[in-house]
Amino acid sequence: MGNKQTIFTDEQLDAYQDCTFFTRKEILRLHGRYHELAPHLVPMDYTNDPDVKVPLALIVNMPELKENPFRNRIVESFSEDGEGNLSFNEFVDMFSVLSETAPRELKAIYAFKIYDFNTDNFICMEDLEKTLNRLTKEELTPEEVKLVCEKSIEEADLDGDSKLSFADFENMISRAPDFLSTFHIRI
Amino acid sequence: MSWARERQTLDAGQIHYGPHQSLRLRERPSNSAVQRPPQFNWNADQPEEGAKGRPRNLKELPLPMELKKAIRQVQQMKVPVMSNWQSWKISKSKTMKRFLEESREVLAYVAPWRRTLHKIGGHFGGGVQSYFLFLRFLVVLNFLSFLLIAGFVLAPSIVFQSSPGNSETQNSIDQIECMIYSPEPQSLSVFYQYFLDLLTGMGFMEYSYLFYGFYNNTEMMNLQLSYNIPMAYLLTTAFYFIFCLICIVLRMGAVIRDVVKTGGRAVGGYSTLVFTAWDYGLQGNRATNLKQNNIRYQLQMDLEEERIRKVAASLTMAQTVRLYSLRAFLNLVVFGLIGAAFYAIFKATQFSQSQTGGDFLDLIVQYLPSIVITAANFLVPFLCDKIALLERHSPSTTVILALLRAVFLRLVSLGVLLFTLWNGITCNGVTESAACSVCQYNHKQYPCWETRVGQEMYKLTVFDFITVIAVMILVEFPRRMLVDHCPCKLAQFVGRQEFVVPQNVLGLVYGQTVVWTGALFCPLLPAINTIKFIIIFYCRKITLFQNCRPADRTFRSNSSNFFFLLVLLLGWSLATVALIYAAVMIHPSMGCGPFRFLSMMWSVVPDSLQLLSNSSRDFLYFMGSQAFCIPLFVLLCVVLCYIAALASIYGKTVSLLQSQLKMEGRDKQFLVKRIKELNSASRGKKR
Repeated sequence: MGNKQTIFTDEQLDAYQDCTFFTRKEILRLHGRYHELAPHLVPMDYTNDPDVKVPLALIVNMPELKENPFRNRIVESFSEDGEGNLSFNEFVDMFSVLSETAPRELKAIYAFKIYDFNTDNFICMEDLEKTLNRLTKEELTPEEVKLVCEKSIEEADLDGDSKLSFADFENMISRAPDFLSTFHIRI
Repeated sequence: MSWARERQTLDAGQIHYGPHQSLRLRERPSNSAVQRPPQFNWNADQPEEGAKGRPRNLKELPLPMELKKAIRQVQQMKVPVMSNWQSWKISKSKTMKRFLEESREVLAYVAPWRRTLHKIGGHFGGGVQSYFLFLRFLVVLNFLSFLLIAGFVLAPSIVFQSSPGNSETQNSIDQIECMIYSPEPQSLSVFYQYFLDLLTGMGFMEYSYLFYGFYNNTEMMNLQLSYNIPMAYLLTTAFYFIFCLICIVLRMGAVIRDVVKTGGRAVGGYSTLVFTAWDYGLQGNRATNLKQNNIRYQLQMDLEEERIRKVAASLTMAQTVRLYSLRAFLNLVVFGLIGAAFYAIFKATQFSQSQTGGDFLDLIVQYLPSIVITAANFLVPFLCDKIALLERHSPSTTVILALLRAVFLRLVSLGVLLFTLWNGITCNGVTESAACSVCQYNHKQYPCWETRVGQEMYKLTVFDFITVIAVMILVEFPRRMLVDHCPCKLAQFVGRQEFVVPQNVLGLVYGQTVVWTGALFCPLLPAINTIKFIIIFYCRKITLFQNCRPADRTFRSNSSNFFFLLVLLLGWSLATVALIYAAVMIHPSMGCGPFRFLSMMWSVVPDSLQLLSNSSRDFLYFMGSQAFCIPLFVLLCVVLCYIAALASIYGKTVSLLQSQLKMEGRDKQFLVKRIKELNSASRGKKR
């Protein structure tokens, strides 16, 4: 089962298994997908932990992400340099958080990062308007957009500063029944 | 500098997400493009946890992978001195965890239609996928039930058919006319007779393993083996019902945990919609376009609902009274329609029960109850939908009301059918009337009434199946071809078929309730239903991908999953009531079946108990007596009160914490204001 592969050492696979929500087979499959994105860039042998990053443009072309309106933000939230170039560790991290077994608290942390477009640790009116426009393909009238954003902040904002901090966001997510099933990418 | 201040505020071993900068620095937004990563205190001592606790905590840390790997290395280096026993325990638990993961993978691989469900979820979203998951659950349930029945009833019957067993005969002359039952078909029959018999369950199908009447009351009493077929028949049916109940309750338990955790309905409508509506698992251009339209439609609907609510709140007294009286009148109309449907079913069943025959026209008469039930279940909800437009409820209330009416109609129409049959069999419950006085049931019209009831359920199942296939072939495919190829305005207005999840799920629940009601009288019905549901799965999948567009309203999968399981449980209770009534209150047929010489089906159990040894008999009698049941009941009440108290305490704690959160927010606001005032005051002083 695991004896034939030479992509990772057993020690590395154990580490991945302990740090993510994936099994050994799934991690090997993920490596296959990562390699497919840039075959000339990504080596097949990861036993030496090579420092390889796949650029953003290639990652957002994956079929799982291609049609997602937040694909750029998702990839940027998981990349160290903030530009969206992912190493394999970050790639696995991303899909681990988005997998079925990740707990609600962890998903809420990264969902907050994704929706915070200007990365100031608050979701303000502009962030909300951008989210809404991407959700509805900009087909709502500006008055409707403004109304929905105002109502959303009104509902979720607990400390009254007319923007959502992480505590507000997490509180609102805890009352949403569908969050776990929608914030989930199957790979 | 601020980094050092943060380190002081960290608790040991705590993760502090997002530097909540000191309130003074809040006014200056951060300039860095990268959000500051969460901090981790390296010097904290990890609390002593077993091998299970440590990896799980690691997975849930919101840190980048390199950091997690480094933490893991540190944790491994910090391994405390352990005895041999502890290290052995940890390595064993690791192997056990690996084994569980592997077995879970194998189980997921074995579960049927895994890839299909994945694809459906990707293209049509969670709501439609929940329908197919429900269907798969029912298929597995029916298949396991078939195995149960085949193992305990069918196989022994087949085996003992060939070997001589002991069957009792009654030596009573005055009941000889009750035992007349000749279901063997005539030797010369028309060639299409077999096809008709297949559809109605009569003729060659009637006296076969399919129906109750074929089973004998053989009791094998050899030295090596003793098997009591009547007892096996009854107890297997009882265990089948209990098994289904356990499966449904287990599945409900998984769903209800999510519902309770989020406190039922989500309070924040708009914010939850904006942040949680997008299904990240959607793939494909068409699916995402549809989802975006869907979200836009929902937002517009919510704004519309808000507007309606404002209008309704601003109605004058006279207008409100008029609206409510209109609604009361329309509800009466709806009840009238439903009552008319029930009366039609009653009359149709009475008419068809009085006819017998093998002609083609008689086939229609045989199927009359099924036809009337299906027509009523199509027409009445359709009319109710039109009426609901006049009631002017908000859109969400309209949907819930339509669902409740449809559920009521479906389940009670089945109940009306059973009631009509009962009327015919027991002469309206009056066992002293002319037709029923001899055998305690109407032996002229129903020489073997259990088989008749089984046949009715069989016909309902077959007709339901035929309807699904016919609708797919005659309505859905032509509609799609019309919409795709005809440029006329009518076709574009009607549009492609919508896959409406609630009505489809109700159809499944109805089919399953029919099978449960008929299980006692037609033991192979679960097997037939398994095949029927498998074919329906593939048909629905084909129609979904070829003909349908997703519904405009999103379907909340979680709370609706619970609702559908609840309706399934309702159907189960209806079937249980029918089963208990038939086993206890109605005299079994004397001409057929395994209970032919008993006064009621249940009496086979006490009779067999007499054969047990003294001690086991006394023990079982004790279990059934009041001395055991009443204390057990009291104990269960106490446990129930305890759990209810626990639940209310948790609810109170949740609301307390929420108000505490609000209070903290207000405190922060107050402090910000004070600091601003102090700042401006000190600046003013400096000048």
